[in-house]
Amino acid sequence: MENFEIRFGGSGGQGLQLSARLLADALIREGRKVARSQSYEPTSRGGLSRADLVVAAKRIDYPLITALDVLVLLDQLPVAVSMPLLRPGALVIADARRAGEIPEGDHDLHLLPLSESALALGNERATNIVALGVLAGLGEVCEHDTLETVIRDGVPPRFLDLNLRAFAKGVELGEAGGPGR
Amino acid sequence: MPSQSTARDLQGNQACALGAVAAGCRFYAGYPITPSSEIAETMSVEMPRAGGVFVQMEDEIASLGAVLGASMGGAKAMTATSGPGFSLKQEHIGYGAGAEIPCVIVNVMRGGPSTGLPTRPSQGDIMQSRWGTHGDHSVIVLAPASVPEIFSETIRAFALSERLRLPVIVLYDEVIGHLVETVEIPAPGTVEVADRKWATGAAESFQPYAVTDDLVPPMARPGDGYRTHTTGLTHLESGFPTQEPECVERITRRISGKLVHHRELIESYEAAGCEDAEIVVCAIGISARAARRAVNAARAQGIKAGLFRPITLWPFPESAFKSATASARTIIVAELNAGQLVLEIERLCGGARQVESIARVDGEPIEPAEIEAKIRELSSHG
Repeated sequence: MENFEIRFGGSGGQGLQLSARLLADALIREGRKVARSQSYEPTSRGGLSRADLVVAAKRIDYPLITALDVLVLLDQLPVAVSMPLLRPGALVIADARRAGEIPEGDHDLHLLPLSESALALGNERATNIVALGVLAGLGEVCEHDTLETVIRDGVPPRFLDLNLRAFAKGVELGEAGGPGR
Repeated sequence: MPSQSTARDLQGNQACALGAVAAGCRFYAGYPITPSSEIAETMSVEMPRAGGVFVQMEDEIASLGAVLGASMGGAKAMTATSGPGFSLKQEHIGYGAGAEIPCVIVNVMRGGPSTGLPTRPSQGDIMQSRWGTHGDHSVIVLAPASVPEIFSETIRAFALSERLRLPVIVLYDEVIGHLVETVEIPAPGTVEVADRKWATGAAESFQPYAVTDDLVPPMARPGDGYRTHTTGLTHLESGFPTQEPECVERITRRISGKLVHHRELIESYEAAGCEDAEIVVCAIGISARAARRAVNAARAQGIKAGLFRPITLWPFPESAFKSATASARTIIVAELNAGQLVLEIERLCGGARQVESIARVDGEPIEPAEIEAKIRELSSHG
């Protein structure tokens, strides 16, 4: 995909803004233009949180999302508000444990054990990085190597090992393609 | 230090702060308020680093007071706020306009009136930015529509303020303020820093408000030995108060005349696809970004649509607008308020063109589809 719109949606504190920033960094390194916007509630944890990217090969006219090509759901909270924004055939990646109820529709749903995989690695907070790995594994949004490089550059050293393992697990889930619809 | 420019992903408010630093700002006083707080946050880091001063004041009124004082002391100075704080600053904006004190005031607009919608976008201060303070006064308002433009227009705000000796306001909405885009940051020391016109020559004959060819009186730099006087009362060239009608008129006309005399320096705008346009959309900030996509979509459908975007909002670029809309039958004004910019456009069109308003007041930005639908509707009615 050259020009596309993607949302990371979940609950405050799940690292959605970090995922969006890392993906944006990777896309910019690949020469794309990116506009990033965010919305969250006035609480430090919990509440609807979302991070949106508008990605283009050239100049971005309108910087906010209007029709999503990719939706990543780490919690049930953003499902209702985000589903109407999907473009027909959009890619939807959802955490099977925390965002398991996804309405039927004209989209390519990948219901995956994102948070379960992070828990198995020892820390549920790495769910956001598992999700990035899935995006790399599916191979439609961003190159694997660029994403891995920005994770290496952008994550605090003491969490790097956990994040790299979370990323690798996500890649594995993505390459398997998930159970599909 | 990098010797070349560097591309950085910045939030609009960070870009504003870094633009100010690049422009030579070395004094910031403010009182944080959403959605402008990141400007104060960034300045609290950048000012000490640049050898400048950051002060968190007790309120918005005192913040601009401190900025005016710092400017008279010779520093390039700035404050930032949002609508409610901007209202509080209005008295001091008038003082800055009357006493001709350079300063930059940033207003990141949120929903109002009063506490309103602190985290939601608005463009409800278009008229407050022009007419908020009392009396006839000169003020320049710049309205960037992207993160790179916030950076460059903040630099321009300092240049105009210093060069013309008046308060300059940078006005943008919450969406642009919190958006993250890539900004090309020039290498340190490569941005031309505007210096104000300082007094030179004999100290005995110095007049702080002397009439000069460019209508901008040189200022006395503290410590240079010039005797100066500043007051909010209407004053003579000497700086002392007067009520003599002919003096009052002369002074008042000179101050307002600065904007006319330097119009070319002040005015900035974007006109896209206007040459043959039947319908021109006029908007600022995030609404102009939506308008650009809508106009492109309309063009792709064969509709002759164009975009006029004032970058200098006040004084409104009148002649550029008139040339850009020469072939237009209809003007659509898209804004996040109940209809403010549309009043200026109606005045400029003088009944000669159909003027339509898209005025959104629900705390959400105008989407491209709304404008595109309006363009199509008005086009088919043609």
